[in-house]
Amino acid sequence: MGDIIYLVERSLTMLKHDLIKRNPLRLLDSEGSRILGEGEFGGVVARAGVGKTAFLVQVAMDSLLNGKNVLHISLDQPVKKVCLWYEEVFNSITEEYNFKNGNTLWEEILLHRFIMTFKSGDFNIEILEERLNDLIEQGIFFPQVCLVDGLKFDETVREILNELKLLAKDQGFPCWFSIKSHRDEPKVESGFPVSLAQVEDLFDVVFELAPSTNEIEIRVLKDKAGRFKDPGDRVVLDPSTFLMKKSD
Amino acid sequence: MKRDPAKIRNIGISAHIDAGKTTLTERILYYTNRIHAIHDVKGKDGVGATMDFMELEKERGITITSAATYCEWRGHEINIIDTPGHVDFTIEVERALRVLDGGILVLCSVGGVQSQSITVDRQMSRYHVPCLAFVNKCDRTGANPYKVVEQLKEKLGHNAVLMQIPIGLESDFDGVVDLVTMKAVYFDGSNGEHVRYEEIPSELVAEAEKRREELIDAASMFSDELMEAALEGEIPEDLLRDAIRKGTLKRELTPVFMGSAYKNKGVQPLLDAVTYYLPHPAEVENKALDLDRDEEEVVLEADPEKPLVALAFKLEEGRYGQLTYIRVYQGTLRKGDMIFNNRSGQKVKVGRVVRMHANQMEDIESIPAGYIGALFGIDCVSGDTFTTPGYRYSMTSMHVPDPVISLAIVPADNKAQVNMSKALSRFTKEDPTFRAYVNHETGETIISGMGELHLEVYIERMKREYNAEVSVGAPQVAYRETITKRAEFNYTHKKQTGGAGQFGRVAGWIEPLPDGDFEFESQIVGGAIPTEFIPSCEKGFRASMEKGLLLGFPITGVKVVINDGQAHSVDSSDMAFQAAARGAFKEAYMKAKPAILEPIMKVVVETPAEFQGAVMGSLNQRRGMIIGTQDEGDMCVIEAEVPLAEMFGYSTVLRSATQGKAQFTMEFATYKQVPKNVAEELIKKAQEEKKKAA
Repeated sequence: MGDIIYLVERSLTMLKHDLIKRNPLRLLDSEGSRILGEGEFGGVVARAGVGKTAFLVQVAMDSLLNGKNVLHISLDQPVKKVCLWYEEVFNSITEEYNFKNGNTLWEEILLHRFIMTFKSGDFNIEILEERLNDLIEQGIFFPQVCLVDGLKFDETVREILNELKLLAKDQGFPCWFSIKSHRDEPKVESGFPVSLAQVEDLFDVVFELAPSTNEIEIRVLKDKAGRFKDPGDRVVLDPSTFLMKKSD
Repeated sequence: MKRDPAKIRNIGISAHIDAGKTTLTERILYYTNRIHAIHDVKGKDGVGATMDFMELEKERGITITSAATYCEWRGHEINIIDTPGHVDFTIEVERALRVLDGGILVLCSVGGVQSQSITVDRQMSRYHVPCLAFVNKCDRTGANPYKVVEQLKEKLGHNAVLMQIPIGLESDFDGVVDLVTMKAVYFDGSNGEHVRYEEIPSELVAEAEKRREELIDAASMFSDELMEAALEGEIPEDLLRDAIRKGTLKRELTPVFMGSAYKNKGVQPLLDAVTYYLPHPAEVENKALDLDRDEEEVVLEADPEKPLVALAFKLEEGRYGQLTYIRVYQGTLRKGDMIFNNRSGQKVKVGRVVRMHANQMEDIESIPAGYIGALFGIDCVSGDTFTTPGYRYSMTSMHVPDPVISLAIVPADNKAQVNMSKALSRFTKEDPTFRAYVNHETGETIISGMGELHLEVYIERMKREYNAEVSVGAPQVAYRETITKRAEFNYTHKKQTGGAGQFGRVAGWIEPLPDGDFEFESQIVGGAIPTEFIPSCEKGFRASMEKGLLLGFPITGVKVVINDGQAHSVDSSDMAFQAAARGAFKEAYMKAKPAILEPIMKVVVETPAEFQGAVMGSLNQRRGMIIGTQDEGDMCVIEAEVPLAEMFGYSTVLRSATQGKAQFTMEFATYKQVPKNVAEELIKKAQEEKKKAA
């Protein structure tokens, strides 16, 4: 007897593959390799309102489509608002590529996402570890990629990042951060804003979002392992949807 | 009745359960001289708060039915609707909000913005109801009105601004500082009835000035005059109040008041605020649909001389028959008038017209535009629009969710049977989310509603108010069936055994319809099925949707396309094609990989952080998908989506897992396909029951 081919499932898998393949992130990571390895840190730095969260959500979406569990940690934003970011990005993607069957895919990827929100003042790695243990021990969720949105890069951040690095290595997940810079914040020689420069050594990859008249350029500020060519003239964020796209 | 619409306020008091709204309403009625003694909500003195007039409510200390009442304050007439707090009764809250012009959002100064406050706020925003916030229970340990204001901003996105600051907190709570008049306000007398104004205590002057600056900053966004006055440093009270009022009416500013209703503090300034900042009926735009002009929207005017448009928003069965709560939007409703019910098409004569004060009433001659009153002896259902005969207007339909849970009830004896029917007939008229019907196969009476507690309350009311003893079956989830793939049919219905024959053939396919219940399309060309029988086919297919073949629940999300068929010049008929369509559907249904859908509830649990793991575990065990957790210091909010079928008895589980310190709310979110193993079990169970019944 021949194998049964389930068309619905197959089309969904194809859809996912298609999305993964066509994701402009592929222009950032060379040859489809993973951008970050276990315990590694990546950052996206930009001023307020330029698209840091949208960038992180697109990284998350790529991991979710790959069937990876994404832990999204947001400081000072309610769960509902974070959910809205995902819905927006997902809807923009389905509209852009004119997908049908979006609902099934959405439900499937939701199973791989977990949102944790903290008040920024209350956030510390001890509590995070406690929460994670609750989830892992009960078999509810184990993160494979972690996003931290809204962490303040002030004088205390090194301690938090150091602890988080240990946790990330221990649990084996890479970590992405949004890093808010300020318009008049001075930059050090290497191009990092001062707030990031103090902890730059902990990061493996750093992208910068730089708004110009019509687009938001994505620049590589740091690439420890030399995985990327500067995508500046190839991948940008569309300011209306904050979706990554090839530059015209 | 006075006829100045500018002096009318129709307000609702909405809040999280236990935030103290019933106590607040009680105090409002006391200070406005509508009642002459204060009673406890929990009914310790055996009397119970006036607004909680139903025995059951007294016993549970919660408000279930919204009762309309009115009072007067400083030359203004205020109609108040006390609204229920439990999420199962949100239809009552929504109905109340539909007819109100403004609201008071009561928040607990300890609990702050809780999950139900979010639901209530969403409803207020849906109906564009401007609101004031009242931070209650400032005398409680842990009271922190400043924290609540922050939560209003963060969680509800309100531009909340303090109108007062507290003088002392917790057991030292003494009064408030009014930031508009810059006076300290104290409440003397055994029931706080004497309001005393003093200079601000010196230790609070700096804080009061700082907060007043914030208030002026926020208010000046709505008034250039105020902005200029602020620059000059001289701000008249009226100018500041006008600006705050403008912001409030636009729902862009939420003035925050505070006090302790239980300790009789802060209620009178809140009443002043209702008259200052909440809109009168003429300031609110209400629209009706003109049924004669393809439901075109018509803006109503709160003019008592115009033709009548009134909405029956609530029914109650009282000692003297059905009492219909009504809001008049335009014109005047007078005793003896003939009015027209736009739903039933009947003309009715207005008998007694009354004004309600909880369960007491006073007879009045008329209800002018902008007012809320009640009628006797009018046969209607809630949501009906009444107009002057000749006008076919309907108020926009209210958002009514479908019930998600049902259970079978069996009367104990014949007497109970009669009483049960009476009770059900009244409840279904009163509450559109509560339904009742008889299952013809089992002969059982099934009631359905929005949650376990919702049905429980009606069963208790049946016993208490109608003396109808009923035994109750296990709650049943309102499953649905759907198809997951396309399947073709080609079915011939043929019956030619003596007498007039029946013949009809239909061919085509069925396919999933993701965003709808049912769609029918005919691609018949060349008269393969005569035009007059196409509607018969649709009727037959539609009838098939009522009961699925897996569990017997309604089918949803199916598109039927017919593209071929055959008719007989003599034997084909409407009946024959209906039967053919039913047969065709049956033929295709099982091929279309049918699936079972179940209601998924959005569950929000608020728990002390130390129980977070236990709560997540309990949700996970119930096939719940945890969307996220929100850490808020000592407390934590967990949001999850859980199948309703798994949520029965969850309150007990949650109580024991958290030492009674957590609470949860639940509302319908969506229908989702049940997992394969659960579906198999359900089908097996349904088959066994079918066998048993046979």
